[in-house]
Amino acid sequence: MMFPYLTTALTNLFRKPSAEPFPNPEDMGKPRYRGRISFDADKCVDCGMCIKVCAPLAITREEEEVEGGTNIKRSFNMTSCTFCAYCQDFCGTKAIQLTPDYHMVAEDPEDLITVGTTFKKKVLGKLACDIDNCIYCGLCMRSCPEQAITVDRTTKTWTVDHDKCVKCGMCITKCPKKVLSFKEAAPEGVVFSDSCVYCTLCAKKCPVGAIKVNREAKTWEIDRETCIKCGQCVTNCPKKALSMGPLE
Amino acid sequence: MFKKLIDKSAAKSPWLFHLNTGSCNGCDIEIVACLTPRYDAERFGFKLAGSPRHADILVVSGPITVQSRDRLIRTIEQTPDPKCVVSIGSCPKSGNVFKGSYGIDGPLDKYVHVDVSVAGCTPKPEAIMEGLYKAALILEKKREAMHK
Repeated sequence: MMFPYLTTALTNLFRKPSAEPFPNPEDMGKPRYRGRISFDADKCVDCGMCIKVCAPLAITREEEEVEGGTNIKRSFNMTSCTFCAYCQDFCGTKAIQLTPDYHMVAEDPEDLITVGTTFKKKVLGKLACDIDNCIYCGLCMRSCPEQAITVDRTTKTWTVDHDKCVKCGMCITKCPKKVLSFKEAAPEGVVFSDSCVYCTLCAKKCPVGAIKVNREAKTWEIDRETCIKCGQCVTNCPKKALSMGPLE
Repeated sequence: MFKKLIDKSAAKSPWLFHLNTGSCNGCDIEIVACLTPRYDAERFGFKLAGSPRHADILVVSGPITVQSRDRLIRTIEQTPDPKCVVSIGSCPKSGNVFKGSYGIDGPLDKYVHVDVSVAGCTPKPEAIMEGLYKAALILEKKREAMHK
């Protein structure tokens, strides 16, 4: 044959170019491509986990006090992000999503910042657990972004560090028995009144042995340090002499 | 007399100088991928130049290490006006995960005005192409303003 490449040359004349079309703003990455971050501020509970896990410190948080709560503004800086998707993985409410949108080109760097404002209602009470129905599964402890909750399955104890708690409510949503809630200040302790007949039932029912009753000397004593304010003595008192309330 | 002709031709062929200021090589291979036939940046006249003195667009990748800082400043000085600076990836704009390191002296905005920033770690070649195309348009405007 005289022109061995003639057929190839002719077919190539009617072919589409092999290069990718440009510009192609509609094009997205593959379904699980990690691109521009989208943030749903309504879903955010302001637990602070995303900021904690972000290695390049791309997420910032600003708060502004308004009536009845706080406005929390979160900004995700695309020019600082490594797109590791840790924020997406750790977000308990799935408010953060990495979209397959890779068109992150801007003359003004402000265009590359995703911003969302969450309104957080003021929570007055403190986190409390209904110990009687708690199964000590530890889900609350694992869901807590601040590690404020400690659950020990062997000793059956549930404790919370109120200084660490950010009141995000993540534990309340995760609790399978729905025993967690934000309660008004917990009762300070057991209050004793004169109608007591010194039957010693309260001392027998006390799970920690904090109450000491002497029938002969007619004395009733409680060790406030060991008392866990469970209310067992109050519910079992036949004369209703005990109550939970503020101490003098 | 020939100025208009030269300007018109130069707009069709902006030359790039790629400067690596401590990049992990992720962005660099994507820039090279841009020049392959699949993405074909050369259809817009882009060409990698060997010297910053020949370049119109400075493509910077990497978080500006202390070692590369002086070379960066020298390269910026050597690039003739009008020039356009494109930052590729998160590193030049913020330092990325190296932020706060003793070996980093960024961001790039400290040394030169960044005309186009392409975000991503690393950006896709398509995104880099978009950034370069934007830079070429800015360069055209800059040249027009300069020769008025």
